[in-house]
Amino acid sequence: MALILLPLVFSLLAWFVPSAFTRLFGLLSTGITLAWSMVAVCYFQPEEQILIDFGLRFVRFSIDSLGFTMILLTNAVFFLVFLSNFTGKLVNDNKFAALALLMQFGLLGVFTTNTILGFYIFWELTLLPIFLILYWFGTFDKPRALLQFFLYTLLGSLAMLLAVIGLMHATNQQTYEALLVADINALGNTSIWLMGGFLFAFAVKIPLFPFHTWQAETYTKAPVAGTMLLSAIMLKMALFGLLKWVLPIFDGVATDFWRWPIITLGLIGVVYGAVIAIRQSDIKTLFAYASLSHLGLIAAALMLNDYDTNQIAVVQIVNHSIVSIGLFLAAGIIEQRLGTRELSELGGIAKVAPRFGFWFAVLTFVSLSVPFTAGFIGEFFLIKALFSAHALTGFIASTTLVLGAIYMLRAYQAPMFGPSKFSSFQDLHWSEMTVFAILSIAAIYLGLAPQCLTDFVAHSLTQPTH
Amino acid sequence: MDSIIILFIAGLIGLFAGMSKKPVASILIASFGLIGAGLAAYYRGSYTSPFSSYAAYVPTQGLVIILLCAVTLLAILAGFKRYKSDDEHTGDYLGLILFSLCGAILMAQPNDLMLFFIGLEILSIPIYVLVGIDKGSSASAEAAVKYFFTGSFASAIILFGIALLYGATGSFQLVEIQSNLAIGIWQSPMAMIGSLFLLAGFTFKIGAVPFHFWGPDVYDGASNAVLMYMATVVKIAGVYALVNVFGQVFRDSYFFWIDLVSLLIVVSMFYGYITAWKQTSFRRLIAYSSIANAGLMLFALADIHNSNLFLFVAAYALATIALVAVNSVINDDSDALANWEGIAWKNPLIGIALVLALFSLSGIPPLAGFFGKFSLLWSAVPHVPYTAMLALIASVIGAFVYLRLLLLALKKPSVTVRIKLSLEQIIVLVVTSVASIGAIYFI
Repeated sequence: MALILLPLVFSLLAWFVPSAFTRLFGLLSTGITLAWSMVAVCYFQPEEQILIDFGLRFVRFSIDSLGFTMILLTNAVFFLVFLSNFTGKLVNDNKFAALALLMQFGLLGVFTTNTILGFYIFWELTLLPIFLILYWFGTFDKPRALLQFFLYTLLGSLAMLLAVIGLMHATNQQTYEALLVADINALGNTSIWLMGGFLFAFAVKIPLFPFHTWQAETYTKAPVAGTMLLSAIMLKMALFGLLKWVLPIFDGVATDFWRWPIITLGLIGVVYGAVIAIRQSDIKTLFAYASLSHLGLIAAALMLNDYDTNQIAVVQIVNHSIVSIGLFLAAGIIEQRLGTRELSELGGIAKVAPRFGFWFAVLTFVSLSVPFTAGFIGEFFLIKALFSAHALTGFIASTTLVLGAIYMLRAYQAPMFGPSKFSSFQDLHWSEMTVFAILSIAAIYLGLAPQCLTDFVAHSLTQPTH
Repeated sequence: MDSIIILFIAGLIGLFAGMSKKPVASILIASFGLIGAGLAAYYRGSYTSPFSSYAAYVPTQGLVIILLCAVTLLAILAGFKRYKSDDEHTGDYLGLILFSLCGAILMAQPNDLMLFFIGLEILSIPIYVLVGIDKGSSASAEAAVKYFFTGSFASAIILFGIALLYGATGSFQLVEIQSNLAIGIWQSPMAMIGSLFLLAGFTFKIGAVPFHFWGPDVYDGASNAVLMYMATVVKIAGVYALVNVFGQVFRDSYFFWIDLVSLLIVVSMFYGYITAWKQTSFRRLIAYSSIANAGLMLFALADIHNSNLFLFVAAYALATIALVAVNSVINDDSDALANWEGIAWKNPLIGIALVLALFSLSGIPPLAGFFGKFSLLWSAVPHVPYTAMLALIASVIGAFVYLRLLLLALKKPSVTVRIKLSLEQIIVLVVTSVASIGAIYFI
């Protein structure tokens, strides 16, 4: 119970912390939450479920091994976000700390709730703090871009709300376990519509190809911490929803109907995001489109709804969180110290800041899916799964490796090598270095021993019936 | 009936106490009257009146009366600053509001069309006076005259509808009318036209399209203190009366009018929200927002057995009162939206109350507005799925409107001037904020 409620308590406390101690408070509270969840996972048997009930009619919680993975990921991401911004101005503001912790509470709710309405409620709850964070700390010159982000996701969410209501009416059930055994296929076309509502919400959030227009601008103009939260954990809600809720529940007619449309959109996103990323001159926008490309691949592979692929998709979800924290942190460091993100104005950083050069390189390689990193395991097996579905999809999916190499190497090489274009560059602070080190170790560990994660989550992934 | 008697007596005492020009005494009397009426409804909610030869007024739910009393209490507390400054009329304001509330309670859950009509008039006439109570302002006088003419026109339409129904069925009692209509009389032109006239009159009273034209002008001309009462209690009473009359009397002709109601919902929502988008005056914005919300309230008609209206109207009323209360703090004379810039920073309570109220109106969980919308749609979706879909699209536009207001209020000003709130304003904002979060326990 404390596992879910701790961030909420901290978020309320954060309003009363004097601003001199805010950054310490943020770090400590996320650290405590992370430590608590780590201890809890040690006592957790992967075959089991922990049930939590606060006496609410529509919201109940149960934590299985997939939920635990996501809890750990969430808590780690928030800890790293606070740690990586330790030198920045942002974490000294108790508004940011309170909102971020509230968002952590919302995310934990999404990953642990047991009822479909609870899923929707927490899903929307996360939108509120990120919206305020972006508004107060972002560099949106006009509210238009921000409103576009908010309303786009809200439109998606409302489609999901309709689907949730429809699903609850059609099956007369609301808990995950009851929905799993409910006969959705008997609904026929209605089940296709219901699944469409969910998929629309997810497609906006992930984002998939034609629904991605909010992404680049929001990522670019958000503060670094906001971008990290958005890409490292908030988008994972959609993939998690697909993996845990939608695919198992709608297994059958509806999944068969939507499989190829979603795979097509995902693969278009893979190629389209990569091609646009190659042409970008702004390093943060480049990473935003790279994210579009990577997530398209995960979404496409998830739609195959294959037991083994789903386990690997979890690895790739974790890997994408690692990569996006690392890359956006690197972009943030460059922006903070030099005041620019234009690739053409950057150069020669590696000479003055060798430590930054080294750790940024490690993260670049993880993103490039070099063997022995988690990225390799993830992308290789996802592409393999897409190959076995159809040779063409496999071929298109594998272009991500080549195109990814082009934009990532360009994003690394342009600022780090070449003639120096600036007077001084302060090397990494200990907090930033710790973040990079944790990320790299995690990525390499997962690359060497992915089975520790796949075996763990395998218990809560359902075997598709067909 | 107890509630009405208590309110009436409190109103009378308040009216005379107002002559002593001690505003605090007047507001205390009114508040105690409202609390007493609420308690009476709570303890004797299913009490049959010995007075009426009709055996007419049997409240089915004390909850609605409690809600009406609570909302009125918040409204008079938030408007107290205004009544106090106008101490010639403090008693008049409070007395009229309490008398009007008697009408609202009488009308909200009718058993008998005649009694319903009397309630409607008792509700409306004090409001005509309240809108025009600011004798120095020409806008206020214009609004009062406009409201009076259009309002009496709507009353006439309702009365005409009642007359036609009486002609068709030979009774004023809802139960008898229903049993007569059920044997096929509803297909007679007289009953059909009668039901349409009733619908038109109700639509006017709750301010949904196409009978909404009085709304913006009247809201704009009325003072904030009156607007708080008008935009909430009148709507709640009107929509409850509508649901009760249609749910009981016209349930056999459901398929005759449900398409029409669906159309009204969709048009009201789109019209209200789209028009609200470009407003520069706060009270006009609230007026258009209330038109759209009236559209949403009509969803209660989609499932006549289980309307699930309560949470939605409560959330709407609380959020609207919070917004207008904030407006009356910063903006009592002029009404420009531009004055809203950065107000959230001038007082933390205003900031919190605004964030909660506006997110609640936009329907973001876990706030009351979401649960209200959810429970409305929950019963409506199986009956009118396409209308629900369109309504959700419209509510995205609505979220746009509310968020624009929120962004305006949250904009960080260069110089922060603190605003001090008076005690009763603090009470109102705290109550509305806590209620909008606490709604999660009522679903």
